[in-house]
Amino acid sequence: MESLGHLLSGFAAALSWHYLLYAFAGCTLGTLIGVLPGLGPAAGTAILIPLTFSLDPTGAIIMLCAIYYGAMYGGTITSVLINVPGEAASVVTCIDGHQMARQGRAGSALGIAAIGSFIGGTLATVALVVVAMPLASLALKFGPAEFFALMVAGLCLVVGLAGRNILAALLMTVIGLLLAMIGLDPVRGAPRFTFGMEELFDGIGFVPVVMGLFGVAELLLAAETRQARMIEAELKTWLPTRQECRDSAGAIGRGTVVGFVLGLIPGVGAIVPTFMAYVLEKRVSKTPERFGKGAIEGVASAETANNAYANAAMVPLLALGIPSSPTIAVLMGAFIINGITPGPFLFTEQPALVWTVIASFFVGNALLLILNLPLVGLWARLLKIPFSYMCCGVLIFCVIGAYGLKQSLFDVWVMLGFGIIGYLLRKLDFPIAPAILALILGPMMEKSLRTTLEISGGNFAIFLDRPVALVLLAVPVIVIGFILLKPRSVAKLRESDVE
Amino acid sequence: MLIRRRTLLAASAATAAVGVASPAIAQNYPRRAVQLVVAFPAGGSTDVGARILASLAEKDFGQPITVVNKGGAGGQIGFTEIARARPDGYTLGFLNLPGMNTITLDPERKAAFTVDSFIPIVNQVLDPGLIWVKGDSPYKTLADLVEAAKKAPGKISACTTGILSDDHLAILMVQEAAKCEFRIVHFDGGAQQLTGVLGGHVDVAFDNVGGVFKRVQSGEVRGLAVTDVERSKFLPQVPTTKELGMPTVISSSTRGVGAPKGTPADVVKVVETAFLKAINSAEMKEKMDAVGLALKPMVGAEYAKYYADLQKQAAKYTEWALKMR
Amino acid sequence: MRQGRLIATGAMLVFCLFAIWQSLLLSLTDRLGPGPGFFPFWLALTGAVLAIALMISTFREAADPPDTPRILPHGPGGRRWFAIVGLLAAVTVAMDFLGFRLSMLAFNAALVIALGERRWWLVALFSVLGSFGVYYVFTTWLDVLLPSGRLGF
Repeated sequence: MESLGHLLSGFAAALSWHYLLYAFAGCTLGTLIGVLPGLGPAAGTAILIPLTFSLDPTGAIIMLCAIYYGAMYGGTITSVLINVPGEAASVVTCIDGHQMARQGRAGSALGIAAIGSFIGGTLATVALVVVAMPLASLALKFGPAEFFALMVAGLCLVVGLAGRNILAALLMTVIGLLLAMIGLDPVRGAPRFTFGMEELFDGIGFVPVVMGLFGVAELLLAAETRQARMIEAELKTWLPTRQECRDSAGAIGRGTVVGFVLGLIPGVGAIVPTFMAYVLEKRVSKTPERFGKGAIEGVASAETANNAYANAAMVPLLALGIPSSPTIAVLMGAFIINGITPGPFLFTEQPALVWTVIASFFVGNALLLILNLPLVGLWARLLKIPFSYMCCGVLIFCVIGAYGLKQSLFDVWVMLGFGIIGYLLRKLDFPIAPAILALILGPMMEKSLRTTLEISGGNFAIFLDRPVALVLLAVPVIVIGFILLKPRSVAKLRESDVE
Repeated sequence: MLIRRRTLLAASAATAAVGVASPAIAQNYPRRAVQLVVAFPAGGSTDVGARILASLAEKDFGQPITVVNKGGAGGQIGFTEIARARPDGYTLGFLNLPGMNTITLDPERKAAFTVDSFIPIVNQVLDPGLIWVKGDSPYKTLADLVEAAKKAPGKISACTTGILSDDHLAILMVQEAAKCEFRIVHFDGGAQQLTGVLGGHVDVAFDNVGGVFKRVQSGEVRGLAVTDVERSKFLPQVPTTKELGMPTVISSSTRGVGAPKGTPADVVKVVETAFLKAINSAEMKEKMDAVGLALKPMVGAEYAKYYADLQKQAAKYTEWALKMR
Repeated sequence: MRQGRLIATGAMLVFCLFAIWQSLLLSLTDRLGPGPGFFPFWLALTGAVLAIALMISTFREAADPPDTPRILPHGPGGRRWFAIVGLLAAVTVAMDFLGFRLSMLAFNAALVIALGERRWWLVALFSVLGSFGVYYVFTTWLDVLLPSGRLGF
């Protein structure tokens, strides 16, 4: 295989000490960016662009990519420890990861996240090497109609797992979808439900909402119980136990596939694969009632999917020059500023550069594992800080996080408001996850449906012409049918909740 | 090297406490870091151009120029921010035309600013529109496309990077000049356009030269026409709409630096001089050539006239677009 | 919990009814199909129906046992709860005028004291680090703009 030859020489270059150093620096900075609020991966990467001016183009790209997937991992740390998603895609990890931390298993959670991320990222990169070009072109066939169908299928999967609280989950989904409609509508580009407030023109900010629903709500719940520390349970282990690793194996495998496949489709974003992997894991588990209460498979699947996605998202970028998400768009801007324009011609014009970069993905994933595993104990120690200081510290970060996105105090109010709402919902046992997913998928669904209709000239029959879309749209039908027709599984599921 | 930047706000409040912008300030301008507000997210072509300009202009300007991204709502959020800023010269903005114009012209958008809310200082980039199709598309020339559109009105799909973008207006101009009708599809930005056309979902894209020119050169896409009076130096083989018999189809995206109304004239002059020098520098040219952005520095009366003319042109086509809703 | 759930579901019902009204103000159809008000209208309608169904279902559950915890925060834990919420609101209001550093300084001190801290030197140190220190790190090194108020802080 010609690619293999290129890859090997790429490795030789990537392992040279200065590229190793850049990859290491990138991973470290990226992890820090993921941990720190107020600095989403997009903004963080943008800030670090000047840093790369003094590097040669290959070095610059290696560093920037390392920052990118480093940030994906960094968000996990705060999700597990303090239930604050460090960056939006880590929100799924909060669900089981933080519960594990509460049980003293923060080490296991962080550890399996690091291991899963490594495996997911590495396998995704292998797949990238083998199938980048052909798959990338195939992904182009995924148009707005298929996209819409994918979003609908995704939403139904989550709702279909609602278990006992199916009415509540449906209601929360609807409310999430309604909230998602705030902003400029895709039909006329005019404000909808904004009541004249320009801050709402772009919709109700996802990050402040999630920081409130998870981070602030968690603090409010903890304050009420007057505990002395954020997490009372003693840290049992620094790393996942053998049993836990074995349990997670399947989750990691499935998470990799989900993350990789969805990473190939431009526009999906990082949150969708993590949610899908989580939901899939819960679906195939023999004990779904453990999810939401500290099931390690939940963390493993979400984190693996996250990293597999991050690495796979490089495929559209490198193979086609199309950025999959706003963060990757920043990455692409950084490439361009450094004089590299990603696209298919890059493989032929500068093969050495491309393959060195791809080789450095492997290196970067390994570095992340080496960097983060030993630090797990350190991070978990932070939880020993007395609650009063911890709470205040977390709030400082949440405020910066909510404000820093758009320099908007309005977003801080949103965070506070949803903090209170999240507190109430948790206490009253309403499932939050469906609303979160609806908030993300809602705008994408409506926009892609609108674009599909623009393409077809208002003709809904376009869906009949497109087999992939039809298949995807069949998923919700299947899910609902399954629920209605298989009482035994339904009973099992009813014992659990998508929390 | 990490460029350390001090924030503007730290001292802006001090100034505010002292007093509103007064003529005395201009002599000591700039005294501290200046903010350049970009109304689009980081990484986009506007942002890229702005960051390059900021880093080059800083040298002569004497103070750090911090690029701040305030993206969203097609630029409306950022433009509002610029219009509302204190006119003391410490908040400058990147003005995207005609994006800004169409926002002011759409009554449903309830824009908090008008074209008069800004003082155009110096223009940086003029990115002409480009009509392109997939490399293996059956349409070899613009005439082919128009003919197909005439034979099947409303069936040939043409996509834009956003509702009421310069691309949208360009489609309307072509429809007017050639008396044909397209099926207009709105995407969110250039990346989606690429996916849409390369994936075979849409027939033709109305876009801009910068960002796509490399693909035209490599043959991945075929440029049918450049909507400008002269050929693009990046794509010399692509004819202009003027040459092809449609001289009214002139559309481009221009980006330049402006300030909120009320900024003192001498402050404006300092900004103009510094940025113009940066724009005319060899380094700027080199970096802009790499990304396919054509420089068109305009200052003073020339820029002001262009600004006013563009508003008129935008008004005409925006009205048409709004009627079509 | 039943009472709490009823109230919460009721609130969601009100929200949906409000959304129905608001979406009727927008056009439901467009030349290509659904207009801007289409999906919000049907969603809100579905939501209202679901909310009513949920309320009925909740109502039919057994009444709460007498030792069910109250929903709203109360007692010493409640005091902490209100301290957090109140101080967060206060700092958000104050930040515009006082700027990040001063308002955070006050916030930090007030919050840790409200949550039980009594070692004054530690409170002071933490408050300064958590306001001025954090401000410095974020604005100078990370280029994240944080607000400065009228007084320059």
